[in-house]
Amino acid sequence: MIDPAWGPFLFDTSAESWLARTTQASAQEWFRRYAEQFPVHISAVTVMERTRGYALLWRRESGERRRRIESARTVYLRTLGQVWPVDAAVAMVAGEIMALLPQPPTPTKRSHKFMEARQERFSRWRCDTMIAATALVMRMPLVHNNAGDFEAIRSAIEIDPSRFPGLGPLDLVRCGALA
Amino acid sequence: MKQKSQIASRKRRTTLTLPVDALGQAERIARARHVNLSVVVAEALASGLRIERAREHSAQVVRDYQEAFRGFNDEEMMILDGILPETRKR
Repeated sequence: MIDPAWGPFLFDTSAESWLARTTQASAQEWFRRYAEQFPVHISAVTVMERTRGYALLWRRESGERRRRIESARTVYLRTLGQVWPVDAAVAMVAGEIMALLPQPPTPTKRSHKFMEARQERFSRWRCDTMIAATALVMRMPLVHNNAGDFEAIRSAIEIDPSRFPGLGPLDLVRCGALA
Repeated sequence: MKQKSQIASRKRRTTLTLPVDALGQAERIARARHVNLSVVVAEALASGLRIERAREHSAQVVRDYQEAFRGFNDEEMMILDGILPETRKR
């Protein structure tokens, strides 16, 4: 269990929604206690991914469903806590990570019904590198729900720390380990 | 000085019924710090109100987050998380 007082933490895109949707009482209580002490820290990249998601859903719906999506988007944007920009330092670190790991370390998402396009997988991988870079530059542990990608970044930085002077290690916390 | 008098003017005298133990502790603290009892009670009240405000704020943040992600199926949640699935061709 992770004490919320050890924060602030940076939340990955999927970690943020996991905390909002979890039915696990201990995780809900963890989130409530965390929010008592800190704002929810996220990267501007998460806001971009999320806003694109709401916009895509909004575009394919109509009527009441469309209004519901717009309402959810408005609530999300109103609730934003601390949003960290992709500034020069974050961009530099993200670029180093992308050079270390040019290919996404995990395959495209797929199920029996859906498959993520290869181009989309690359784009999402680059978003993950920017989120990891934000956690490194801001010296915050990264709460994630995407072990495959972020563990690969952590390992790569440990193997080649010379390109990340004064930064690291990338401190990772899985959503499931919070409470 | 003006600011100090403005703060003073915002005070109000009242009568409270307080638990004996808590009042005793507050009196001990006031004596040790050479301040009057009102100062200690006001500080304790301000601190308690801060905690209560933080609790209310945190409950609101959690409620808002739940509202922002309520009613979406798994595929829609993938899209909201930045994963863009395409329907597989048969």
